[in-house]
Amino acid sequence: MTNVIFHTGVIFDIKEFALHDGPGVRTTVFFKGCPLRCVWCHNPEGLSPKLQLMTKESSCKKCGSCAVSCSHEECQPFGRCIYACPDALISVCGREMTCDELFDRLMKDAGFLRESEGGITFSGGEPLMQPEFLAKMLDRLREADIHTAIETCGYARPEIFREIAGKTDLVIMDLKLADEELHRKYTGVSNRWILENAAWLKESGKAHIFRTPLIPGITDTEENLAAIKAIIGDSEHELLPYNELAGAKYPMLGETYRYDQMKGSVL
Amino acid sequence: MNKELYAFITGKHHHIWRKDYCGPDAAAWKKAGLTPRERMADRFVKLCEQEDPCLLPGQKLAFIRTVKNLPDVLTEEEWTDIRAKHHIHELGYLSNLSPDYATVMGTGLLKAKETADPCTAKEIDALIGLAARYREAALKAGDTAMADVLAHVPAYGARTFREALQMLRILHWSVWAEGEYHNTLGRFDLYMKPYFERDIQAGTLTREEAYELICDFFLDCNIDSDLYPGIQQGDNGQSMMLGGIDKDGNSVYSDLSVLCLRASGEIRLIDPKINLRVSKDTPLEVFKEGSRLTAAGLGFPQYSNDDIVIPGLEKLGYAHEDAVNYAVAACWEFIIPRTGADIANIGALSFPKVIDKAFKKITFCETMEDFWAEVEAVIKAELDEMTAAIGDVWFIPAPFMDLLADSEDISRGGRYNNFGFHGTGVACAADALAAVEKYLFTEKLRTAEEYLAAVENDYREDTELLSLLRNRAPKMGQNTGAPEKWAKKLLHTFASLLEGRKNCRGGCYRAGTGTAMYYLWHSDELGASPDGRRKGEPLGTNYSASLFSKLDGPVSIVDSFTSPDLTETVNGGPLTLEFQQKMFDAPDGVDKVAHLVRYFIRKGGHQLQLNAVSRDTLLDAQEHPEKYPHLIVRVWGWSAYFVELDKCYQDQVLRRQEYVL
Repeated sequence: MTNVIFHTGVIFDIKEFALHDGPGVRTTVFFKGCPLRCVWCHNPEGLSPKLQLMTKESSCKKCGSCAVSCSHEECQPFGRCIYACPDALISVCGREMTCDELFDRLMKDAGFLRESEGGITFSGGEPLMQPEFLAKMLDRLREADIHTAIETCGYARPEIFREIAGKTDLVIMDLKLADEELHRKYTGVSNRWILENAAWLKESGKAHIFRTPLIPGITDTEENLAAIKAIIGDSEHELLPYNELAGAKYPMLGETYRYDQMKGSVL
Repeated sequence: MNKELYAFITGKHHHIWRKDYCGPDAAAWKKAGLTPRERMADRFVKLCEQEDPCLLPGQKLAFIRTVKNLPDVLTEEEWTDIRAKHHIHELGYLSNLSPDYATVMGTGLLKAKETADPCTAKEIDALIGLAARYREAALKAGDTAMADVLAHVPAYGARTFREALQMLRILHWSVWAEGEYHNTLGRFDLYMKPYFERDIQAGTLTREEAYELICDFFLDCNIDSDLYPGIQQGDNGQSMMLGGIDKDGNSVYSDLSVLCLRASGEIRLIDPKINLRVSKDTPLEVFKEGSRLTAAGLGFPQYSNDDIVIPGLEKLGYAHEDAVNYAVAACWEFIIPRTGADIANIGALSFPKVIDKAFKKITFCETMEDFWAEVEAVIKAELDEMTAAIGDVWFIPAPFMDLLADSEDISRGGRYNNFGFHGTGVACAADALAAVEKYLFTEKLRTAEEYLAAVENDYREDTELLSLLRNRAPKMGQNTGAPEKWAKKLLHTFASLLEGRKNCRGGCYRAGTGTAMYYLWHSDELGASPDGRRKGEPLGTNYSASLFSKLDGPVSIVDSFTSPDLTETVNGGPLTLEFQQKMFDAPDGVDKVAHLVRYFIRKGGHQLQLNAVSRDTLLDAQEHPEKYPHLIVRVWGWSAYFVELDKCYQDQVLRRQEYVL
């Protein structure tokens, strides 16, 4: 596990009024860091567990001002000065928050979330990559009587998966590809843990939803969808349409979107 | 809805009937020695005489304008003379009033004529004459139902829902024809309810027939609206207020209100502009019905909160029975039907300008209290200047409007003659105060000289401060508490420094949170601001966060913007929230928006506007306007066809989309 510090987590966004992340009106917390490298990922800033620079590329004049060396402690990991941009286009993606900080922040919305029978959803990135922090947050929110959900790729050691599932009210789990080789090819990891966790979840009695992102030519094939159906049986299953704008954030991180390049070969 | 009528109106086929006014003009009236009041009456009479009764396909309610322009009633020379002696508001004709249609609707024009002055009486005769010609046209077209209605109204009081709607159409047409503008429709579901319920109960009208009539009336509001004056096309002030309570405290919202909300959502045109009065006790179902209309993408309904507005108006001296009867002017300014002769948009206090002026003295301030004292002093000085500049307001008399008011000469005033000031850029100013407090006085990251130099240089030499201010400083809408504290103080100071001031008509001044067109005008005259806003960057519309603030979402925004005591700013000015259109595609998206609106109301917000927009569509519309003739966006207190807006307004609407939730 990358982040072993007990009391702090790294998150990259908090989004209020999320409508697709569980019942009612929800606030979604995005954990930074993911063990998968899905070629179609639309949240590239969630992949690395480290803080990252984000630049508004479209407005950047490539003046080079940010390349100066500076003495700001917070700039040191980046080799660039985050304060030097004449148009303030550079920001840091990700922030470390203590459990208390995040809890207090989330509780600000509590009245509204309860009223609309909603709650808090932990997403990412992959929330299970910061299991201790996540467990602590879930415990505190349960004490505060707030409904919680997690959105996970399911890639975690089974004992961690089960422990976290026990602490939350709803598990929303992705099942992307049933075939292990294809899973390796398009996400970078084997799906053995994922399938084991899915099998357990299905029988656990815990409220859950399986989700499959429909990636043209990769996950939306008949064989794959049939195989996934066979795995999940009668469990609730949502199919998520592919977002055409999925690649938009890559340039901001100075990265390229691999799915765009692959499209030619897979489609 | 009558699709044929819709196609005819949106296709602008009625424009071929339009013609120029032909008759006496200001010079002729001057030569004849007519008073302005007599000229208004004469112009109205001539207009009625020249009007050609035209019926649109399938139309159930008659009256359109074929004479497209009216000559001014005063000559240039006379205007110069009057302007030298008086304060002339905007065009000099009455505007932004909420006429009382209900009374004349009940009695008919002949009865009203008995107590009318000669000018008004002349206009009544001319109007009844025109209605008779419309009746002939209806008979000729074989429409006996319409002919029967016109045989009774407007001369006699309406007896049925259809007659009442026809009467309303004629009265509303008349105030525009007389020359007043931003003529609102007021509390439609209050004054139409007796007719609606009576007919439904009597079995002479079905719900479906009523709905069709409402659709017709709404469509009709879009026939002549391009002839009405405004800053931009769409800014014509045909606002309609639904819901709220009556004078006895009973809820007005009824099945009729539901039909109106649905008709607006089906027609999807920019008029009438739907407002909905709600309170903490309003059932969730009402918010859901409203949210279904929001999903239609018109920027309707705009909500206002009875729990805040009514006590706010009472604080300003409005009698309880008038306060509970409030409606809105053209955009959001709260006005009272019949009794209100307020000028709700007579000026605007620019909060960013206040900060700009005060900040020039920052180097003399040793503490935050010193700086705040400067800010207060500037607000006071600005208000002194603004109020002193308005002396002896004069309007051109409006004989027909007098019929719909409780004043013998509404141009000289009514029961309420209060003047309203918008307050622009509150968020920008509150953010600036929070930043100055934090970075200058608490953390001492910059000296006053350095901060001032940075702002004056548009932050070109201090990118570190710029980056800090734009990317990390607390902002209104984040609900961190710091800017909110200053927003509270700014608005309270604005309101309390207006308290006790009397205007030239004996009324008071009302503070508001609206911006109207000032959000563009004010940002043009400013340099950079201490909150990190750079020179030339626009301010947010109305009561909204700065355009570059990074926000977590609408819950924090609502918490943040409802923290000031908004009963003090009932000149109005909504918080604006923008949602992606596709959010409403979620199965219970509408319900969730309804919860959010109710949350805003329960938190003590005064007014709320919600937009459902798609940025991609807007961008494409800028490129290919021909593809989107009917794409509607909310601009400030009104909705407009996007492609008909000037580019600067289009761009501002687009900039707002960069921060949609």
